Amino acid sequence: MNNRLSTVGIIICLLIALYIASLTELKIYLPNFIEGAIVTVKVAVLSLILFFIMSFVAGIARGHFNGIIKWIATFYIEIFRGTSVLVILFWFFFVLPEFGILLSPLTAGVLGIGLNFGAYGAEIVRGAIASVAKGQSEASIALNISPYKHLTRIVVPQVFVITIPGLTNTAMELIKATSLVAGITIGELTFHAMKLNGIFFKPLEIFAIALFFYYFFAQFIRLISSYLEEHFSKHMNKEA
Amino acid sequence: MLEGQLFMSDKKIIFENVKKTYGDLIVLDDFNFLVDPNESVAIIGPSGSGKTTILRLLMTLEKMQEGLVYIDDEPINMMKVNDKLVPVSNSYIRRIRSKIGMVFQNFNLFPHMTALQNCIESPVHTKGLSKTQAIDESKKILDSVGLSDKYDNYPSQLSGGQQQRVAIARALAMRPEILLFDEPTSSLDPEMIGEVLNVIRDLIKSKKYTVLLATHQMGFAKEVSDRVCFFNDGNIIEEGKPEKIFNNPKNERLKKFLSKILEAS
Amino acid sequence: MDWDWELTLEVVIPRLLEATWVTVYVTVISFLLSLVGGLIFMILKTSKNRLISIIATEFIEIIRSTPLLIQIFFIFFGLPRFGITLPPVTSGIIAFSLYNSTLCAEVYRAGLLAIPKGQWEACTALNLSFVRSFFRIIFPQSLVPIVPALGNFLVGIFKETPILSFVAVAEIMHVAKLIGYEYYEFTEAITTVGIFFIILSLISAKLINVIENYVRRTVIHE
Repeated sequence: MNNRLSTVGIIICLLIALYIASLTELKIYLPNFIEGAIVTVKVAVLSLILFFIMSFVAGIARGHFNGIIKWIATFYIEIFRGTSVLVILFWFFFVLPEFGILLSPLTAGVLGIGLNFGAYGAEIVRGAIASVAKGQSEASIALNISPYKHLTRIVVPQVFVITIPGLTNTAMELIKATSLVAGITIGELTFHAMKLNGIFFKPLEIFAIALFFYYFFAQFIRLISSYLEEHFSKHMNKEA
Repeated sequence: MLEGQLFMSDKKIIFENVKKTYGDLIVLDDFNFLVDPNESVAIIGPSGSGKTTILRLLMTLEKMQEGLVYIDDEPINMMKVNDKLVPVSNSYIRRIRSKIGMVFQNFNLFPHMTALQNCIESPVHTKGLSKTQAIDESKKILDSVGLSDKYDNYPSQLSGGQQQRVAIARALAMRPEILLFDEPTSSLDPEMIGEVLNVIRDLIKSKKYTVLLATHQMGFAKEVSDRVCFFNDGNIIEEGKPEKIFNNPKNERLKKFLSKILEAS
Repeated sequence: MDWDWELTLEVVIPRLLEATWVTVYVTVISFLLSLVGGLIFMILKTSKNRLISIIATEFIEIIRSTPLLIQIFFIFFGLPRFGITLPPVTSGIIAFSLYNSTLCAEVYRAGLLAIPKGQWEACTALNLSFVRSFFRIIFPQSLVPIVPALGNFLVGIFKETPILSFVAVAEIMHVAKLIGYEYYEFTEAITTVGIFFIILSLISAKLINVIENYVRRTVIHE
């Protein structure tokens, strides 16, 4: 609760600072930053959606199933976890066109980030599935509950709660990674910061403002995450 | 007269109006307790009633909110400086702490050291013994607890009973005056409890130490202790000689507790 | 698919191998500096002085929740404002070290936290000094979780190095792009870089496993 209050406090301070900044000379930069911030949010939200989907699909595929499903998931996870996110982004942007697949920068960016972080998220989900006590699956068998129902009504709800902290941290890494799509010509925040610096040559002010925006996003995500965690773990007994 | 002594009683350990809380939970409230030198006291009672807390406060592992605890009439949570009571200094508390040894429920042996190394660690680095001296003494102590062939074994190579006996040897190597046993056999498989209790019995019989024993082993408590205290809800409900407590309990809660224990066995 | 093997063998691989030196150099130096920096950050963060502890915590939070790329730009473009002009590699190493020190501090913290509280209590019961308790008892045991975590940490830094292509440091990603611009063929260069990272990841995972077992056997003889 205390953490939530301080997070909300930080966000309010940031908003006030933003307002004050708009009244000073910094207002030259602000329209660009706002435009960049909007694109960052767009890229982030789309990537996050893909990230969540891939985390659970691949995590459950690798953690709960066997055979070919598990193999495909493992293949995906090891490839996308094994390499750097920038390499993946460049691969989607520079290499795929040579195979005839032309993706817009936005698509390439969202796919690259979403799939890369989805692989990390999948491992977190897989770990959570393993930690949901085996005794519960045995109880389900004894109660004649179908494996499908066991997965969806017993395992997944618990996994969902357990993974919130780990997935939040990964989500924050994801948001930071959106800065990299500037390299594939998406006009998000970092792109605009680089552009402004090229025009005005005031790196300290400009990049400080950029840092400020990202810090703001991060705190916002933390807030949502702590709300989710509190709301969903009301009935979970935290085992030491 | 010891440096921090506030008065002269003939008690080894004194708890005076001690209050200990964990957040909102009051574990000890206005708790008073006296122990004579070389007396062995068994503390029995339900889990979570505070038995362990008494030992932990004495071992300075916890801080109390109110009250004073004295060892040899020196307080351990405050000290006297120019006729005022102030928070303890590091050297003061370490001097007093060297008189107390503790054996834990889950042994807490150092896993990266052999049995012998576990034993000599404290004497060499806190009592200034030379390494050879400490090794000699520790070997004798390990012999006395029946582990003469285990000097160079690591904890992971020893059974639970053997590990706990090393833990006892380690505490003895400190040459303490007071020995605290916090449910020493509760983590052991049944067939190993006996070997540990035998060691503790010998220690108590030697009358060289003041012993506080928190335990669920009622038969053992009845056999070896000078006094038994039944602990419940933050205070001692009834205390007295073992025969009196076990054969003739007066307090209702004590009677219920004892009957439940008998039922289970 | 028409993979140009000639390009791969005569241009891509030789130039990437050359650039690997830069990548390794940046990685190792940043790693070593982060080991020290992480220690400093951890000490500051757990300082008894509340002011130091709060400032350190907030500073670490800012570094951890903002992109490394912006931090690199801040240092690379910002230092010249103070009259300090450094080559891109050096700015990169500084930014990397700062950023990764905060991660390293977290590795240390988690490693120490993994030691059961009972070990500390045994040290108190045996009346050992804090220094002795920490260096002889706690620290050796903390190597078991910390060493493999540092292994992963090192690999993580390696995978971050492509970011330096934004400031034209001649590491492998940058060189791969240059090959692409020069020969109008990105596939061979970038795919090779990707495969290189994947192979490195798989090998290092196995290696770290071996090291972890070795440390566990040597320290706590399990």
